[in-house]
Amino acid sequence: MDKDKVKQIVLDIIAEIAPDEDLNDVKSDIRLRDQLDLDSMDFLDIVMELRKQHGIDVPEPEYRELESLDSCANYLLPKFEAGAAA
Amino acid sequence: MGSVSLPHPSLSPVKSISSQITSTEVVVIGAGLAGLAAAVRLAMFGKKVILLEKHYVVGGLNSFYARKGRKFDVGLHALTNYPSPSSGKSSPLLKLCRQLRIPIDELKLLPQSHSRITFGEQSLRFNNDFQYFLSQVEEAFPSSIDAFLKLLKMMEQFPAYSVDAEELSTRSILRDSGIDPLLGEMLLCPTCYYGSARPDDIDFPTFIMLFDAIFKQGLSRPEDGIRAILNPLTAKLKELGVDRRMNSAVRSIQTKGDKAKEVILESGETIKAEKIISTCGIRETESLLQENCIEPNEAQTGQFSIIESIRVFKGHPKDLSWDETVIFFNRSNRFVYDCPKGLVDLESGVICMPDNYGTNHQTEESKLRVTHPANFHRWSQLSEAQYLKEKNYWEKTMLDNALSYLPGGLEKRELLHQRTELLDTFTPKTIKRFTSHINGTLYGSPTKKRDGSTKYKNLYLAGTDQGYVGIVGAMLGGIAVANNQILRAG
Repeated sequence: MDKDKVKQIVLDIIAEIAPDEDLNDVKSDIRLRDQLDLDSMDFLDIVMELRKQHGIDVPEPEYRELESLDSCANYLLPKFEAGAAA
Repeated sequence: MGSVSLPHPSLSPVKSISSQITSTEVVVIGAGLAGLAAAVRLAMFGKKVILLEKHYVVGGLNSFYARKGRKFDVGLHALTNYPSPSSGKSSPLLKLCRQLRIPIDELKLLPQSHSRITFGEQSLRFNNDFQYFLSQVEEAFPSSIDAFLKLLKMMEQFPAYSVDAEELSTRSILRDSGIDPLLGEMLLCPTCYYGSARPDDIDFPTFIMLFDAIFKQGLSRPEDGIRAILNPLTAKLKELGVDRRMNSAVRSIQTKGDKAKEVILESGETIKAEKIISTCGIRETESLLQENCIEPNEAQTGQFSIIESIRVFKGHPKDLSWDETVIFFNRSNRFVYDCPKGLVDLESGVICMPDNYGTNHQTEESKLRVTHPANFHRWSQLSEAQYLKEKNYWEKTMLDNALSYLPGGLEKRELLHQRTELLDTFTPKTIKRFTSHINGTLYGSPTKKRDGSTKYKNLYLAGTDQGYVGIVGAMLGGIAVANNQILRAG
């Protein structure tokens, strides 16, 4: 697992949640909200899908760690690694 | 529809106390749009859900039935919040489709042609382009346009969509806004009919939501009617393994301390649940709890109900030069939205020609639907014979009365009668049967609880008495309760 894989996982989830969004040109360092039409309901779905598909828990106060692909990668990578090691 | 007879819940056999006990994570009471949407969301993320419905069809107020091989929708005149080019991606309908993972294209939405509000001699037309409505207001009320634009700005700034929005009186805000009083009355008419539980008024947040939903976004109808929404939802429930039970009325909700513990069905079965979502209404939920007050303030009982008659006729409305989709009408300049003293109030009403959604005018037959306020108690007191007699009388009276609001309608009366294939009517009693709402109310109690919380930690209200009305509102309300009260908590 590396950061690019984590980013791809997040993008795949967004593609599932918001199939009408164009994800071809998403910038890693820009807030997802600023380049895609995503609201708090969609972010909840990203969190729920991470739990459902990958067994990763994101507590509510930490939802903002998911604001960009870069921050997702930084925040989620240790969680994926911890999951793989367990 | 009056001939459909269902076993009365209290007459169903009561099993012994040794009846079955089931356990689940969440019980959802009511398979209307809010309950269906909540159940889908919860099951999508692995919650074990039992969905209970008293009636034998899903949909609640927005259900369907068949008559002589024809399909009818109960509630659906219009699906509001059409994502028109001018409203773009902001339409709640898109959010809703995303949340339920139903591609919006699957609904095959047909936009309205155009619609009208008529009060006496004055008319305002609207379609799914808000600029057109603005130009209509300016043309009809030139001296009110500045005050109207100021009102619109104020509405945009008001936190209508927040759960603690203040429920101000729209009538008094309109009165103080400086717009022509007649314009105010004309704005109240469609918004009240599409979602006010308050007598002769509508709370301001709901007014704003409905104004946006009807005028800024717009009206459409799925090609296959309400089934286009209900079928994907029930298919998802099945796929997700939700235990959906029809003909399953709840007798009571048992509590212990500050928690709801279990649901007891009329069949005698007990369902233990960690969380319960009740979509049957605030007063109706109180009666299941055998309590008078689950809220800090005592909830009011709603009174507003309707009667609707449907004329099925050969050909298309355009053959009669009727090209409008929905017509909200009022005989005088003052709109009264209240439970009438008599059986029916003919002063105001709504006409819908569902075949004027979309552009296919080749239909073999079409429908003309006419809706008026009606008094549930008066209809309920009638004997079976009187009921049928009154139903027949009002069906004809309403359909003929509506002709005076249609272009050249009175002259086309004979032609329309010749073309008629079928008349059908549903009354406040029918609405009661589909929704189980006290008094057969269309929009429940005037007391709303937007975040769905009750004094019981694990019992939530969703649907009508959450205060998000209409098809889109009901589903978003159910989703919000599932998301915020249950999924977020883990």
